[in-house]
Amino acid sequence: MTDMWSQEYWAHKGDVKLYMFRKRLGAPSAGETPKPILFLVHGSSFSGPTGFDLHVPGKTDYSLMEKFAEYGYDVWTLDHEGYGKSDSTEGNSPIAEGVHDLKAGLEIVMRETGQSNLAYYGSSSGALRAAAFAEQYPDHVSNLVLDAFVWTGKDAPTLIERAKKMDIWTASNMRKVDKPFFLSIFTRDLPGTSEDGVADAIADTELAICNAVPTGTYVDMCANLPVCDPTKVQCSVLIIRGEHDGVAPEEDLLNYFTLLPNRNKQFAIIAGQAHVSHLGVNRARFWHVMRQFLEMPPRIESSGL
Amino acid sequence: MSDQIIHMPVNPGDIVGEEHWAKRGDIDLFLYRRYSPKARAASPDKPVLFLVHGSSFAARTAYDLDIPGKGDYSLMRTFAGLGYDVWTMDHEGYGRSTHTDGFSYIADGVEDLKAAVPVVEAATGRGSFAFFGTSSGALRAGAFANVYPERVERMVLAALVWTGKRSPTLKKRAEKIDEWRATNRRVVDEAAYQAIFTRDVEGLTVPYLPAAAAAAEMANGGGSVPNGTYIDMCVNLPAVDPLKIACPVMIFRGDHDGIATDEDVMGFFTALPNKDKQMVMVTGQAHNTSIGINRQRFWHALDSFLSIPPRIDNAN
Repeated sequence: MTDMWSQEYWAHKGDVKLYMFRKRLGAPSAGETPKPILFLVHGSSFSGPTGFDLHVPGKTDYSLMEKFAEYGYDVWTLDHEGYGKSDSTEGNSPIAEGVHDLKAGLEIVMRETGQSNLAYYGSSSGALRAAAFAEQYPDHVSNLVLDAFVWTGKDAPTLIERAKKMDIWTASNMRKVDKPFFLSIFTRDLPGTSEDGVADAIADTELAICNAVPTGTYVDMCANLPVCDPTKVQCSVLIIRGEHDGVAPEEDLLNYFTLLPNRNKQFAIIAGQAHVSHLGVNRARFWHVMRQFLEMPPRIESSGL
Repeated sequence: MSDQIIHMPVNPGDIVGEEHWAKRGDIDLFLYRRYSPKARAASPDKPVLFLVHGSSFAARTAYDLDIPGKGDYSLMRTFAGLGYDVWTMDHEGYGRSTHTDGFSYIADGVEDLKAAVPVVEAATGRGSFAFFGTSSGALRAGAFANVYPERVERMVLAALVWTGKRSPTLKKRAEKIDEWRATNRRVVDEAAYQAIFTRDVEGLTVPYLPAAAAAAEMANGGGSVPNGTYIDMCVNLPAVDPLKIACPVMIFRGDHDGIATDEDVMGFFTALPNKDKQMVMVTGQAHNTSIGINRQRFWHALDSFLSIPPRIDNAN
């Protein structure tokens, strides 16, 4: 069996250096059949490899990057400005800045793979970044998976709670993160939707890199929604919603879905899942739904026979 | 040239075809089963899949069509190869089932399904199944799930209509409501199938399909079909209450399907109470998803929904 291969890269957004990480089965080689590319976009509270390449002591199958690499994908992620190993600035790394980060990351993917039309997956505010990117760079997004997404934020339990601390989010460009905070992400919707040890692993991995993250996406989600316009997304889209996710009500997502103009589109509610689908106890159901969408057989245009 | 589509990942070995019969009062109902012992042994957890036909074809015309040299058309054969135990039935007045004086309304279809269940249960040892229905078959399956939820594990509804509001196809169909009511049956032949396959848009089925469908229909005792589901779809919708469907549901909708508006189908989807549900919209599909040129996209979505890993309710 081919071994898992990984590589680090640096993208440049002006003077800001952005950390990128890539995993796939086997090192790239000249003349190989191109693998489909899947670019994973992280959310507000932990960096790319922490969330998407997590290894939980004593447990298996928590790395989304490795899972899709095993499925045959060339999987990439990036730490947005102010997150993980990327440069911090005086900015608060809002959604709009995330779009610039993704553009810088795309340049590296294009340079390394020769491919320029990728599948993007985003979770939570990462879904907002990915959707906004797809609006602005439609030629570079073949498929878009929006997980734990929110559109207008109307009546969203998580955002109503988050907005109570708006003065804290606007007082500084960064907010402190600690172990209790990471634990709260995995229990706020419904305890038992993730295994014990997952939040600890996230906390230990992330806190080894940094102890604060930017506030921009929290400010955007509390005060600036909607930041995405479904009518401007041209590619096929899958919206995944965990049954217990409090970041958006179903109605908000269905309204967004209805307005998507490309009629290759899917809306999946996954029972037993909360906000962080890819680290939930039912993550195998999430992989299954996402893979089905990404591997839909190509359309035959006309019988013409 | 043909649209050769082969979907099976492995050689499934022999695929068995079995005839069974159910009885509803005086009505004999023809059931047909296909499965591969080899594929079944490899995938013992895959469900029994019961396919419910629509208004204008008998079961095997819709789901077990064989067009030699033209690729896979049979949903039954394809899913048997994937490891499912696949069943279907000719409803009252269709194909090889008893042709009565009745109209075979959707409510009759529910009774047909009720009569079929013990036969399937006896043969398979399973008491609940995955159901798939297309067009008025989706209404039969949905209405059955409303009243016998314990028999329906999962359900996939294609070419679905709920209220029928602003449906282009049903608006046109309703212009002939007196004709549908005047007699209990209508003729289905190559010309009728040609009209069905091209009414949404041309080019999404192959030109030889109407002749193949008409030949299959005649070979299975058809040539005419009951009018009840046409009448129901024109004047008696809604026939299904989404709030009373307990199981996980996937709705599959082709972009050119004129049987319902997006709004109508989304309204149904929104109302489904089970939080295990998917709405799959695909392009390159019209009303007849299972025998169109892009049927492989439908098979892909159907197989995926039916094979999702089981839910874990508490991590610890």
